[in-house]
Amino acid sequence: MIKFRYKNFDWGLMAVALILSVIGILLIYSAKHYSANVVERGIYLKQIVWLFLGFCACIIVFLIPLRFYEVFSYVLYFIALSTLLLILIVGSSKMGASRWFSLGGLNIQPSEFAKIATIFALSRYLAYSKRSIYSFRWLVPVIGIAVLPALLVLRQPDLGTSLVFLAILISMSFWAGVPIFYLFLIVSPFISLICASHWVAWALFFLILIIILYHLRLNFLFSVGFLLCNLAFGMITPLIWNRLHDYQKDRIIVFLDPGRDPQGAGYQIIQSKIAIGSGGLLGKGYLQGSQTKLAFLPHQHTDFVFSVLGEELGFWGSLMLLGLFSFIIVKGILIANKARNAFASNAALGITSILAFQMLVNIGMTVGFLPVTGLPMPFVSYGGSSMLSSWIVVGLLLAIHYRWYEY
Amino acid sequence: MERLRDSNEFIGGFIPRKQRAKILIGFLGISILVLSLRLFSLQVMKASYYKRISDENRIRLVPLQAPRGIITDQNGRVITFNRPSYTVFLIPYEVKNLDFVAERLAPLLNLDLSTLKERLKANWSRRYEPIKLKKDVDFKTICVIEEQNQDLPGVIYQVEQIRRYPDCGWAGHVLGYVRELSKEELSSDSVSSAEKSDFSESTSLKLSPAERRGYRPGGYIGRKGVEKQYDDLLRGKEGGTFLEITAAGKIIGPLEDREPDLPVKGTDIKLTLDLDLQVEAESALMNYESAAVVAIDPANGEILALVSKPGFDANLLAGALSSAEWNEILQNPLHPLLSRTVQATYAPGSTLKLLTAAIALESGIANKNTYLAPCNGSYRFGRRTFRCWRPEGHGRLNLVDAIIHSCDVYFYQLGLKVGLEEWCRYAKLCGFAEKVGVDLPDEVKGFVPSLEYYNKKYGKGEWVKNLVINLSIGQGEILVTPLQMASFYCGLATDGTIYRPHILKEITSPDGRVSIAQSEVWRHLPFSSATLGVLKEAMVGVVNDKDGTGVLAQIPDVTVAGKTGTAQNPHGEDHAWFVGYAPAKDPKIVVAVVMENIGHGGTFAAPVAKRIIDKYLKRGIVAERADSVLAGDTP
Repeated sequence: MIKFRYKNFDWGLMAVALILSVIGILLIYSAKHYSANVVERGIYLKQIVWLFLGFCACIIVFLIPLRFYEVFSYVLYFIALSTLLLILIVGSSKMGASRWFSLGGLNIQPSEFAKIATIFALSRYLAYSKRSIYSFRWLVPVIGIAVLPALLVLRQPDLGTSLVFLAILISMSFWAGVPIFYLFLIVSPFISLICASHWVAWALFFLILIIILYHLRLNFLFSVGFLLCNLAFGMITPLIWNRLHDYQKDRIIVFLDPGRDPQGAGYQIIQSKIAIGSGGLLGKGYLQGSQTKLAFLPHQHTDFVFSVLGEELGFWGSLMLLGLFSFIIVKGILIANKARNAFASNAALGITSILAFQMLVNIGMTVGFLPVTGLPMPFVSYGGSSMLSSWIVVGLLLAIHYRWYEY
Repeated sequence: MERLRDSNEFIGGFIPRKQRAKILIGFLGISILVLSLRLFSLQVMKASYYKRISDENRIRLVPLQAPRGIITDQNGRVITFNRPSYTVFLIPYEVKNLDFVAERLAPLLNLDLSTLKERLKANWSRRYEPIKLKKDVDFKTICVIEEQNQDLPGVIYQVEQIRRYPDCGWAGHVLGYVRELSKEELSSDSVSSAEKSDFSESTSLKLSPAERRGYRPGGYIGRKGVEKQYDDLLRGKEGGTFLEITAAGKIIGPLEDREPDLPVKGTDIKLTLDLDLQVEAESALMNYESAAVVAIDPANGEILALVSKPGFDANLLAGALSSAEWNEILQNPLHPLLSRTVQATYAPGSTLKLLTAAIALESGIANKNTYLAPCNGSYRFGRRTFRCWRPEGHGRLNLVDAIIHSCDVYFYQLGLKVGLEEWCRYAKLCGFAEKVGVDLPDEVKGFVPSLEYYNKKYGKGEWVKNLVINLSIGQGEILVTPLQMASFYCGLATDGTIYRPHILKEITSPDGRVSIAQSEVWRHLPFSSATLGVLKEAMVGVVNDKDGTGVLAQIPDVTVAGKTGTAQNPHGEDHAWFVGYAPAKDPKIVVAVVMENIGHGGTFAAPVAKRIIDKYLKRGIVAERADSVLAGDTP
């Protein structure tokens, strides 16, 4: 066995991840300690166990050579895909969505791990494809790898997590060298999907699109096909809207107008904003948050855990959390930059983008910037799968950092 | 189509990896900055706003009822007071088996099982919040509930003060009643243009004007009569204790750093009403369906008795009224909720002949000895024949006799001499078609026609001035309230000075300070004392002359003066009027009586007025009867 090189190990990254996890456990304790239900009150103990398991997973992931992930990336990806497919058939249903596998009392959410597998697969493809990044044949597999699991997750339905796949796709393509305008083209069908809700927005968007296409001087046939594709996406907006579940429609409507139904669908956003706002500069004090303690916040230990922090620790506490996350994310980007192996570099960037995306979307949701999507905050939100995958990701980052020089 | 692009040079160009890392970090930085700004806005800029909402979330104000002010008559006898009542609640949290409890409770509370269950289910979500089941449950039922509390978990009761009014609905229209305010009523007058923006997030912050005045859903508000007019005085100030609650409504305990607000008792009100007289007036009208009586002290405008029939049971209206009972009241063709003394208008009939006479005297058209063409039962003007109420006619009469016998033909002629324009002008000067300004709610002003009115109605030049013929005997377009009529006679009874009628005598604030309501002059009649003297002589004659129309108002030892009236109306029998005063020399009381659809004023209204005047001037004979109309013990 080779001697462990302390200096090459990123102690800071691990420490910050640990701090975030501990903050999460403290917040979960605060959120539930007033509950009348003994099981709910003890929920933080479960999270401690998950942290321990996650830590172990981190070490194991760290010890496995990077080459292993590289070699088995497609295999892992196909396992993940089939698991997602399986869950659509047999998964247990919670709140109308089948996202979990029940394994002897433990609920496992395969989409958390599918994200990592997708990153591996994409990293490998991007690292080894000899095709030009401007070619169509290069682009199709890239989109396919990311969109396939995204669609399966969307089917569960879990809009938030499927958007994570989109974030992976964009950030990793960018990292692979695709220019920003091209990225815009990749995303454009989805923007078109959203813009189509209002004809003015859609017309404007098409104008921009045509200007960009003209500017890039792309192949004419492709341009026309591309515009048609966008047109098609826009046309199906009403269809998709009608296919959405009622609670999803509610979330979107309520995001646009929270005052519309303050006791019903708008309740979460309103109560979350009240909790965060009432925290003020310094917060009401740990365990002192009235919104938290008196259960005005729904899902306060999972998706809305940031509201608990905002209420009890205030503005400075919120900034501290943002700071800790920024540290990890910047670290991740630097690791991706430093790694010599293309696969490792791509993976590090993909991983970092997940963490960043989930953190930003989660906080954005609690402060009323984004619709309620149900994305957990890495490390902090309650949830075993989320904790495990977050720490696996940390293990990978640590491993890539430790072996940055390997080709 | 291997290559998407023909050229390798493209906008944006290839970015080296290091640059890409920087772009990503920059992107992160911007995102973090945006979130921080948002947090700054929420937690620093708007912190106090959100703190207030979060307090509103967690704090429940449990109101402490303020005892409502007591209402007494002018002699300090209690007319309306508060009595304790029991209200039954259910706390969902403590109920294990809803069906079991509901089945037991329904017969106890005399409620329909399905409605009870519906009410429970509708309020089930906030599990710790008590649901109000029934108000004013009798003591026996409370004993049974207490006895069976093992089988009725979660069923609790609270003592609440509720209003007690005289039985039989006496003085109902004067007093009015109180009712619980519903949420809809409170918000119905809310400012709908309330600023939107962030305030729309919390409905609790939108206060309607009623709420700003201290009303809240479930609190009481005065409706009709004195209860409405002086609600702000009577109501007092509600207090409250502050409890901390969870989102589900569970009470954690009293709020630590907040002392309870103690309620402030309402102001006691003494009315000018004389309870004996009120009772006498009510009993005099006992056998009649719809009628109104106003009795005023002409020396200061104090209202001594005010009756409007049919009345309503204020105790019923203030209590748990079912919608069926409410609809029955609303659909009653006699409109029991209408306060006839101030809200109903009638043709005054012959009682207004005195106005015609006064105008003629004042403008020198006639004097007391003026004879006009003799009455042979009818009067022909143009192609129309106007009949006198006495088909065989009155013969040749002077002005005073014409009043005493209420000869219509005489007044047709007098009216024509006065002329329409002048008649309408004087009517308005005497205060008709104008609110008297009594301190009772919803007074109406009646109607006096004018040239413009006729021009509008019939078209210019399409009508003739003989319309004054009808007006001169108090028929036609003129409409008056009984209170206006009584006020007019206040002026006739005195030197022409009319004090503004009022019902409030004095108030006693909770700290014991007494303030007395001041009488004020409303107006002076535009008539000289000579004119008034003639009218007075005639009014004495109406009652005391052996052929007078008002002989039934005669009282031994007291000279009563007045005028009868029989107002025709298209909806049936005539309305009977009598307006008079006594003693004739030194008037102590003015009484106006109107009885709907019954017949001659001299036959029906005069005896009622007599009883009231008799009672007032020879008071103290059956004083103790007044107390017996109040149910239970006075506190």
